[in-house]
Amino acid sequence: MAITEKLTQVFREVFDDDTLVLTDEMTADDVDAWDSLSHVNLMIAIEIAFGIEFKQNEIQSFANVGELRQGIEEKLGK
Amino acid sequence: MIVKNIAYACLTQHCENGHEDKESINWIHNDLSETRFTYGEFERESNQIAHILKDLGVQAQEVVSIFLPRSPKLITSFFGIQKLQAMSCILFSTLGEDALLDRLGNSQAKVIITKNSLVRKILAIKDQLPELGKILVVDKEEHRDDFILSLLALLKNADTDFEYPHQVDGEMPAFLQYTSGSTGKPKGALHVHGAIQDIIQSFQEIIKPEADDLYWCTADPAWITGLSYGIIAPLSTITDSIQFSGTYNADHWLKILKDKQVNIWYTAPTALRMLMQEDDEKFVAIRSNSLKRIYSVGEPLNPEIYHWGKKVFSTEVYDNWFQSETGSIMIANRPGLAVKPGSMGKPRSGIEVFILDDDMQARPVGLQGHLTLRKGWRSMFRTYFHKEDAYADKFRGEYYITGDLAYQDEEGYFWYVSRSDDVINTAGHLVGPFEVESALLEIDEIADAAVIGADDPLLHKKIVAYIVLPEEVKWDRTLELKCRIYISNKVSTVAIPSEFIITGKIPKNQSGKILRRVLKAYYEGEDPGDISTME
Repeated sequence: MAITEKLTQVFREVFDDDTLVLTDEMTADDVDAWDSLSHVNLMIAIEIAFGIEFKQNEIQSFANVGELRQGIEEKLGK
Repeated sequence: MIVKNIAYACLTQHCENGHEDKESINWIHNDLSETRFTYGEFERESNQIAHILKDLGVQAQEVVSIFLPRSPKLITSFFGIQKLQAMSCILFSTLGEDALLDRLGNSQAKVIITKNSLVRKILAIKDQLPELGKILVVDKEEHRDDFILSLLALLKNADTDFEYPHQVDGEMPAFLQYTSGSTGKPKGALHVHGAIQDIIQSFQEIIKPEADDLYWCTADPAWITGLSYGIIAPLSTITDSIQFSGTYNADHWLKILKDKQVNIWYTAPTALRMLMQEDDEKFVAIRSNSLKRIYSVGEPLNPEIYHWGKKVFSTEVYDNWFQSETGSIMIANRPGLAVKPGSMGKPRSGIEVFILDDDMQARPVGLQGHLTLRKGWRSMFRTYFHKEDAYADKFRGEYYITGDLAYQDEEGYFWYVSRSDDVINTAGHLVGPFEVESALLEIDEIADAAVIGADDPLLHKKIVAYIVLPEEVKWDRTLELKCRIYISNKVSTVAIPSEFIITGKIPKNQSGKILRRVLKAYYEGEDPGDISTME
């Protein structure tokens, strides 16, 4: 499964919204209930789904979905 | 007593007095672009919304709920509702389905004004909201069907003039403000149009804006601070103000403070604590700006944060205290009163505050007791909507029992100690443990649960959940994530526990009531005291 597809599934599960469509430019301001508290949920969900681990300083470093996707790709060595 | 309708005081009278084209709010969007709204623009659109609601059959004193993130449409919706003499109820856009159902069900809202992406949350509970007649969506150009209508489409044909009584009975209900209790469902504190007198008086006495001051209150309008001091106070006093659509973002906030030359900033201790984690260098750039004063409310401002804030912003930080139920600031530090770091300050004029014991007798100076107010101030809540018994429980004779414990020192300053009940004040949000426990118990893998608040250096109190699992279920990261997501989407993001502790049994008394004090003692490594009533 492509990273974007898997990441979309994670977002939909975390924010309980089956209509979410990810774009690289998307930020927390574009998704209801994506705040600093639910961001922790998102990071845990991504770590579990992709089998990766983020360092503490990485968790708040992604400016948008595109950077998050790139971060995942780097962790996966892609 | 006859008073000005809140909408008249905040908008219409200014238009009548020649301020129609004066800027009311400079709206800063998430991307930091700006839109400047005049009093006339807010006046006209709120007139249109009043027409639309009237045409939909909303009657005076019926509830219209606003389920939106902070946005200009939230402002015009609020005032449109006031002009119709209906009751508004602004809800946090982060609320989950269960929390939403509790509030919409209790308020019996006839119409909900929301955005398209939030409609699904309402539809999920619609069958349990028999009074709900319409959903108005603010960001769709066309009606979805007869039930979900486009506010934008309706605005195209709505009259920009609306006749309404500018003077109303001061006791006329105006808005509901929901707050959590230690047991049961959230309660809607009902406020009246007469509350505006206290909101204005307190704003002028405590916040003290001067002509040409630029004022910024960071609170969401779903919070009493955001409504009373983010919207009503600055608009009614023609104080230049800004609103920012985004949530907390250190870089954005500091940029706004600097670029907009904010003079008076009203924020929350948790926000200051989060800013404190940033590099000091970030604050150097704004040190020479025009910031005159900082105000803080929501949880106690501990001395460490007070001293840090005063140092990096080179200005005084005034903490104050009030509640959803009080409607306006009751106790405050303010200019002209020497600040005792960590103190709530002193009561504002006209407010009588007492520290009483369980028998409503005065406690000696320096000893803690129930923080109590003599009832009768103008912004006092008039009831808990459809929960008169809960309202009556908050009073003993002439006294309103706030639910907080505090003491008064020999110089008359008040000092917060803690809540007297089990409500958890986390980052300024009051979270009822019952709401979180109920959500946890809906998860198949959880056999029992109890929730407490524990000290936290950032949040003031963090939510700690004790969980009992059936024998066959093992706790792991996936199950923790399931719990976190479930609470986030059913209750609210602010209700997500910071910590989950797996235990064999929840301590309860013989009636089945959770003994939270025992759990708190266990958590803090202290003796739980008398446990003779424990099951």
